[in-house]
Amino acid sequence: MNKTSIYEKHVALNAKMVDFAGWEMPIQYKNLKEEVEAVRDNVGVFDVSHMGEFFVTGAQAVEFVNYMVTNDIEGAELGKAIYSPLCRENGTVIDDLIVYKIKENYIMICVNAANIEKDFAWFEKHSSRFDISLTNESENFSLLAVQGPNTFNVLSRLETTSNIKDIDYYSVQVITENETPVIYARTGYTGEDGFEVFGPHDFIAKVWDELMAADAQPCGLGARDVLRLEVCYPLYGNELNDELTPLDAALKWTVKMDNGLFIGKEALTEYNPKHRLIKLIADKGVPREGYKVFNGDDQEIGVITSGTMSVGLKKGIALARVKKDLFSEDSTIFIEIRNKKYQAQFTKKAFVNGGHK
Amino acid sequence: MSNIPENLFYTEEHEWIKVEGDVATIGITDFAQNSLGDIVFVELPDLESDLDKGETFGVVESIKSVSDLYVPLTGQVIEKNEDVEETPESVNENAYDAWFIKIKIKDASQVESLLKADKYKEFCESN
Repeated sequence: MNKTSIYEKHVALNAKMVDFAGWEMPIQYKNLKEEVEAVRDNVGVFDVSHMGEFFVTGAQAVEFVNYMVTNDIEGAELGKAIYSPLCRENGTVIDDLIVYKIKENYIMICVNAANIEKDFAWFEKHSSRFDISLTNESENFSLLAVQGPNTFNVLSRLETTSNIKDIDYYSVQVITENETPVIYARTGYTGEDGFEVFGPHDFIAKVWDELMAADAQPCGLGARDVLRLEVCYPLYGNELNDELTPLDAALKWTVKMDNGLFIGKEALTEYNPKHRLIKLIADKGVPREGYKVFNGDDQEIGVITSGTMSVGLKKGIALARVKKDLFSEDSTIFIEIRNKKYQAQFTKKAFVNGGHK
Repeated sequence: MSNIPENLFYTEEHEWIKVEGDVATIGITDFAQNSLGDIVFVELPDLESDLDKGETFGVVESIKSVSDLYVPLTGQVIEKNEDVEETPESVNENAYDAWFIKIKIKDASQVESLLKADKYKEFCESN
């Protein structure tokens, strides 16, 4: 099993460790609810060093990445971060990732841990006709996601991260420390303001120690999942997989049809999605992944892709993938929980409003 | 260290049992509530359900987990604590006040198979 560079620090904090995509990761420290609340109200820190970092450099870096992903990379300004699916020719999703236009001819791509090899092989396969250099630097980087409204205040006061700048949300800056780049991105997957700090292992370990000394709340993958679900961000393996297109998963906004040629464009132009990803609030009970969803005519219309008790809403919340032809927004919806059907309310709004600007 | 009252019986599934005559009151232990974290949902069986020892009688859910409850003695459900269904967080507040069900014990000899406080304490410490 893989261990992150600060594994021992999680163990010392008595974190509950689990296998996640071949990595031994903290799922929870002391209290999950307190971890979620720390991120919404103050500052929490996640070790997400298991995630992958690819670098694309060279004269055609932007052209290449723009061709590979469905969102518009060319149109984004330098210094911006862009969320995007990565699709096959038939439009199905290989992964979802974040592209960081760090500086001219220099792009970083952050991908899900479980998909590092699959993604890198895909990028590599298409790289030969572009004037670029493509490297998988995942082993050289540790990554902390520092999230919550007080993130900038806290990071700017630490010795290791005092050079951080107050950049806009979904922006990125690079600072060279001892000849190695440290990348500060105002991104995250919690809906809150925050920074993701990508850096060499020893540097990140120092940042972690300083954050702990500053009383930032260590947060596990459990809290991370509740936070992202409360703001309705999709998770690969749940809302997205190898058989679905972005259009089946409420990600139409990430497929830019006027974005020149990109892999999957033709298929997605013609694709008429059979599914719709919807948000549900349970009247009673806690929806969980895999539970069946029914309409008012007692027809099975789909399945819960992610569900939890919401810390902010104090109700059971879920994302569900339903068949378009059997679902209508006016229909009564039921979730089957242990052979009983519980009513749930369809909603168009996120369950919780994140505080990012 | 978690609270393990002397006057109760226990199971390795972290349930406590209070035996009074032929009635057993059943809940989950302080150790269990502490490991589960914030309890957000409890589902209990219907009254008059006949349950066999080892059978699932309900669930207790935390924010991220679902755990089955196992009946430690064969018997019939004669009472259930609706308060704990309404306010599941009461289990975190005091696991020994927040009982789940009362059953009428069918076979008194099964009581002997339950763990006494000292044995349960050893079991918790060894896990």
